[in-house]
Amino acid sequence: MSPELLAMLAVMGASCLVCFLIREPKLLSKVMPVCALAVAAATMWFLLPVIGGETYDEGMFYVDQLSALFMSLVCIVGLGASVYSYAYIGRDREEGELLSRQVSTYYTLLMLFICIMIATFAVRSMAVVWLGVGATTLVSTFLVGIYTSNESNEAAWKYIILCSVGITVALAGLVLVYASTVGAIDSSLALDWTSLMEAADELDPNLMKMGTALVILGFGTKVGFVPMHTWLPDAHSQAPSPVSGLLSAVLLNCAMYGVIRFYMVSEIAVPGFASTILLVFGMISLAVAAFLIVQARDLKRMLAYSSIENMGLIAIGLGIGSPLAITAALLQLAAHSITKPILFFSAGSIVQTYGTRTMADIHGLPKAAPFSSFALTAGVLAIIGVPPFAIFVGEFSLLSAAVDGYVWVAAIVIAMLSIVAAGFVRNLVSMRAGEAPEGRHERVGFTTIAPIGCLIALSLFLGLFMPDGIRDWVDSIVALFGGIRYGDQLHDAR
Amino acid sequence: MDDVINNLIDVCAVFMLLLSVFTMATTRMKPLVMMFSAQSLFLAIMAALVAWSSDSPHIYIMAVLTIVLKVIVMPWMLLYIMRKINVEKEVQLSLGIPGSLLAAGALVLISYYVTEPLLGSLETMERNCLALSVSMILIGLLLMCTRKKAITETVGLLMTENGLFLGALAISHGMPLIVELAAFFDVMVAVIIIGIFANRINRSFNSVDTTFLRRLKE
Repeated sequence: MSPELLAMLAVMGASCLVCFLIREPKLLSKVMPVCALAVAAATMWFLLPVIGGETYDEGMFYVDQLSALFMSLVCIVGLGASVYSYAYIGRDREEGELLSRQVSTYYTLLMLFICIMIATFAVRSMAVVWLGVGATTLVSTFLVGIYTSNESNEAAWKYIILCSVGITVALAGLVLVYASTVGAIDSSLALDWTSLMEAADELDPNLMKMGTALVILGFGTKVGFVPMHTWLPDAHSQAPSPVSGLLSAVLLNCAMYGVIRFYMVSEIAVPGFASTILLVFGMISLAVAAFLIVQARDLKRMLAYSSIENMGLIAIGLGIGSPLAITAALLQLAAHSITKPILFFSAGSIVQTYGTRTMADIHGLPKAAPFSSFALTAGVLAIIGVPPFAIFVGEFSLLSAAVDGYVWVAAIVIAMLSIVAAGFVRNLVSMRAGEAPEGRHERVGFTTIAPIGCLIALSLFLGLFMPDGIRDWVDSIVALFGGIRYGDQLHDAR
Repeated sequence: MDDVINNLIDVCAVFMLLLSVFTMATTRMKPLVMMFSAQSLFLAIMAALVAWSSDSPHIYIMAVLTIVLKVIVMPWMLLYIMRKINVEKEVQLSLGIPGSLLAAGALVLISYYVTEPLLGSLETMERNCLALSVSMILIGLLLMCTRKKAITETVGLLMTENGLFLGALAISHGMPLIVELAAFFDVMVAVIIIGIFANRINRSFNSVDTTFLRRLKE
């Protein structure tokens, strides 16, 4: 094991242990963000050579550029959520929404949640990835249900039941994929990523088809594809806002990572099968989410529907499957992960200021909550794809990819994105307009401004400049897919 | 000798499916949990038979784990939760018994139909088991959809999982040990957490009837 990986694992273990041992909520709320920073730093140190083009491949660990993308997103968003928690959970504690015991539990679980997500992307065996995705559900259930009110219990219940069913269906898919490897791969290595990719064209196509379908259905439940999405708006709206941001920006990615890996294998074994499923799920999710956004009345539910919409766009990109479309899907995934926490964090502060999530009861934002109002506005503009924010780059690339051979997809995507934009802007305008209520003021401190400000800056940076390092990184990820169907085309394009 | 073992494996699989179907006709909670326990016992016997006939010792570990966790610990936990929150002994149905049984029968037929294309790739012994496994998965899901109590939803989930393990045994003589351990771990923790939340739901609604869970919507 390389010293970098060892250091990363050691820091993760130590951070979890520290957060487990400290039970004093005031102290823990200061220590936990520091631990998250340490984990992020150790992970990025480990990832630097991988981002530069190397592949880490040793023992049970396997990290390529694709895993590196997901891991860095967890680091960024996880750190942001931990810092923002200090402000958000602190206020909840003051107002008596949470007991001090619950606050300690919250921080411990948050640390564990972040570490499990990072570890999920670093392993070689698809079975362990499956376990990681399952474990993230189990840990985050308590974070969703932390308020122990009727509503949050209901949300947590739906979340764990639906995601457990999803994960069981994914396991059924895993069994069939394993069965399809009999004869092609030695059974002890059968679900290892590298051996799956090497032997992908020798796998039994019938079993592989059914296996892939079940895996996409199962993980898709957790990604939030319509019609398995019903847990998503409940969990996102009931969880504390830092957790909502994490759920939306990186937890959905965990399941998406599973989908992407199986998509890559399946596209070699049975070309065109997984991509068709993803295209269909993507279109349905996008269309349904667009109309859900328009009729949403609850601020955080609206943001949750927008996550479904974005996951739909990513699935459409994978479904089209050309190198440009895959680039678009990856950019959209990264941009969504950076943008969505801005919205959830600022929405969290607004909800705390107004004491309600119903958008019809929120008026005069710029007066009552100047910073949150600015952040929400920036976030809304970013999420509906206004240039120069990063999502614009993703959506624009997706449309350019779709025009080539999938014109009807491009047409529907444009129509749906317009509906989404209209819904967002209408609600934003009505919340900004009107008189601010008396005696309601937001509290702004460093721990609110820093995470939101950094994420806005990052979103602008990725939208305005794409440094060569990041471009090469994305290209090398697309090359991992590239061997699949468009290997030659990709080569010609260079 | 191999024929005898294959027949015994088939018998176990059939009993497991029968127990799944019986759960659709049960109106009482305790027998429901006991049926799950019995079904897991057949799963464990089957695992031991497969381990013996295919000479793969790691499946014995799975058989032992199944007996410890699914035959004893999980049913005991479910019964404990039921006692603790004083759940009513009757199962609330949203689909009547004749309807449930007809639906279960239809699901079995569907399973034979959808597994047809896969049969070419499989040995003879596994053909029945695969269809039975898919039927059990589907019946488990049906149980989750048509019963209203939190505990019944959990039993449905566990029976789905049993069907899945049956499939894994039949098709590929079990999964690699790490997958099986992972799956056991996942289910075990899920049941504990589900128990905790069933308790919380009971405290807040004074019932574990999940039809109360209809507050969150637009």
